[in-house]
Amino acid sequence: MCDTIINIVNIVGKEVVRTVIGLVGVFIVVLGNAIMLTWTERKVAGHIQRRIGPKEVGPFGLLQSFADSVKLLGKELLTPANVEKPLYFLAPTLIFVPVLVTFVVIPFDGFLQVKDINTGILVILAFSSLTVLSILIGGWGSDNKYSLIGAVRSVAQNIAYEIPLLLALLPVILMANSFSLRDIAEAQRGAWFVVYQPIAFLIFFVASVAETNRTPFDLPEAESELVAGFHTEYSGMRFSLFFLAEYTNMFIVSAIAVTFFLGGYQGPILPGVVWFFIKTYLLVFVLLWFRWTFPRVRFDQLLNFSWKILIPVSFLNLLVTGGILKL
Amino acid sequence: MTMTNRVIEEFKAEFKSVDITEAPYEKQGYHLSIEARTGNLLNIIDFLDKREFYIIDLFCVDYQDYLELVYFFNTHRELCRIKVTLKLDPVKPVAPTISNTYTIARWYEREVHEFFGVYFEGHPNLTYLFLHEEIGHYPLRKQHVPVPDGDKKLLNSFRPHEEENSFFINLGPQHPSTHGVLRVVLKMDGEYLISAEPVLGYLHRMHEKMAENKSYMQFLPNPARMDYPGALLFNLAYVEAVEKLCGIEVPERAKYIRTITCELNRIASHLLWLGAFPADLGALTPFMYAFDDRENILDILEDVTGSRLTYCYFRFGGLYNDINEETFIDATKRFIERMRERLVMYDKLITGNVIFINRVKNIGILEQGQAKKYGFSGPVIRSTGIPFDMRKVDPYAAYGSIDFEIPTGHIGDNMDRYMVRMKEIEISLNIIEEGIKRLPSGPFKTEKVPKKLKPPKGDIYNAVESTRGETGVYIVSDESDTPYRMRWRVPSYSNLMTFPHLSRGVLIADAIATLGSYDIVVPEIDR
Repeated sequence: MCDTIINIVNIVGKEVVRTVIGLVGVFIVVLGNAIMLTWTERKVAGHIQRRIGPKEVGPFGLLQSFADSVKLLGKELLTPANVEKPLYFLAPTLIFVPVLVTFVVIPFDGFLQVKDINTGILVILAFSSLTVLSILIGGWGSDNKYSLIGAVRSVAQNIAYEIPLLLALLPVILMANSFSLRDIAEAQRGAWFVVYQPIAFLIFFVASVAETNRTPFDLPEAESELVAGFHTEYSGMRFSLFFLAEYTNMFIVSAIAVTFFLGGYQGPILPGVVWFFIKTYLLVFVLLWFRWTFPRVRFDQLLNFSWKILIPVSFLNLLVTGGILKL
Repeated sequence: MTMTNRVIEEFKAEFKSVDITEAPYEKQGYHLSIEARTGNLLNIIDFLDKREFYIIDLFCVDYQDYLELVYFFNTHRELCRIKVTLKLDPVKPVAPTISNTYTIARWYEREVHEFFGVYFEGHPNLTYLFLHEEIGHYPLRKQHVPVPDGDKKLLNSFRPHEEENSFFINLGPQHPSTHGVLRVVLKMDGEYLISAEPVLGYLHRMHEKMAENKSYMQFLPNPARMDYPGALLFNLAYVEAVEKLCGIEVPERAKYIRTITCELNRIASHLLWLGAFPADLGALTPFMYAFDDRENILDILEDVTGSRLTYCYFRFGGLYNDINEETFIDATKRFIERMRERLVMYDKLITGNVIFINRVKNIGILEQGQAKKYGFSGPVIRSTGIPFDMRKVDPYAAYGSIDFEIPTGHIGDNMDRYMVRMKEIEISLNIIEEGIKRLPSGPFKTEKVPKKLKPPKGDIYNAVESTRGETGVYIVSDESDTPYRMRWRVPSYSNLMTFPHLSRGVLIADAIATLGSYDIVVPEIDR
């Protein structure tokens, strides 16, 4: 048995096997995370709103997400009459690709990483920009004015917030002297970068809320204005793919924030992977907390905030960091 | 010299040939009545417009020999209700439009047109407002009058033609922010609104026609179905109108209990709005908090009235039953204490939130000058700085003997409307506290009320301050046991119709915030 496995490994090469196993692991993390977060979001919302949240299905309602997914799977996939069929079908699938790819470079622990690419953060930023493309495709293909407005908002919002997002990460990259996520995590053995870069951390976190389309920046799907925004016309599993992507994106931005500012998998006593998940889910919890506390900002306020405040401040922060490092 | 005498004098000097008569206010609910003719109607309207009269209501009564258009006016400074009537030929009723002076008449006249077949000369858009085009006759006419074929006009399937650089979008009838089934047709340029046109009638149940087929007692539950969050106040408007019409005396205790329960209901209604308004802005949590508080009131009122939402508690001459001195008063006192603490919490949670302030401040500004043209009332008018409140202007129930202040805003933006309602909750708590302190003992209803009411011939207009503003009911009695004509003046109607004015050129997000700040109840508008 062992021999056969070793033989196969030798034939196809270690790298390939590692990648395949890694991708399977990524799938498990993505789905597990989405299932966990659906439940957590409802539980957190419940407690913030003085309710109990789900409690009927399984202990503490833990199986609620499974019940939900069974329901969504059983639903008819409704296709409205005038949709742009190829685009309409493509969007929910496309939104999942960048999400999966970004997981490849995230270091869950010192060695628990699918692949350490030395331009890791660039891969993440490049692929996460694709999310907005699928939102635009979905909104355009739906042949619905609400969807289109939501999609257009999403594009403007993502362009505006990707700049401060990147500008907030650059000082850390300067300090760690590497684009690799593992190197950055390793560079924080002494002190977390949030100590040196509190402003960059705040900017990154605010921008990432906007990137994930969460309240108070949930304009692309603003319920009270645009019914459901870009996914108004999607139902059943197609809708749930958008939903899964949103939760996975929340995890990704939190994971990046943890890796860049909060020491990644570093921590005492407990194994690194546990620390990584604890920190990430703490940040995810803050995102949930935002959603159930704040009203939504207006569109012009959102853009003004990015172009007039976040971008100048993050540029300044970058300049100061660069200057100090040069000295 | 009172306002009424001054108006009579000035009117007589200006119009020599027109009759102006003083009416017994206690019996009819208005001070003066003027009989206009088609020729001089516009001059009279001008006369009233110059003296800062606002239009309360415009409707029609079918007396079979003639149709009578009724215009009600009042001022915001002093109570001086004027009824202007205009007799029309039932075969070909034509009247001049007053929508150039009073903008709100644009919609009132459309309503009269579809229900009575009255034509208004010079009206910009005389189409159906509530009814469907398939309807073949004028429903509120006493005899069957078919609609001429060429006159079937419709707005419910309003299909605007698209132009370059703009598109149309239907906000509603099923939309999370329209609170019911209101439909607004928005003409938009990108995120900006070019114009907005409310399309009504999706909840139209024709309560006014129902009233003509039911006895006074049988109609009692209906008003609660118009304004479900503020059911008791509509109940009160109707009951008081009938009492005044029949000359039924109400015992003091009943008056106080009416005041207390009405104020509880007002808080419940404001709490419902307090939940819905932040939800329109994207904050979903205050909704649950407000409902938590509202539940307490519903429990208290359920104890007294037997129902939780559509109350029917007041009866002609008193109440359905007496309150339970111990449980009711204890529960109410506990609630007041709890609510005062919660108000502080709401202040921290919502009022102080930077995002919230940025979303509502200086948005949707209504000027004081518009109040006259639209006749909006309630918190919407108080937010502009006019301290107009029917409870103070024309005290009913026990409001006359309880001292309370009227909160006003400064500029009439969304923030002011929010603040006025929040303060009103506080003041309602004070009124309840004061009412409980003074609650007299004695009978809770008059014994002498006959089972079958047959009010004397005449008409009555009675108004109360419901949660959304001036709610009036106008009843014409012909000595039978059913009303000859009943007309409801609902506050949400005139409040909502300022929306086309306020939403011109604003972002859609702001327009929705403005719509939410009105606290409209669609069943009330559609009736």
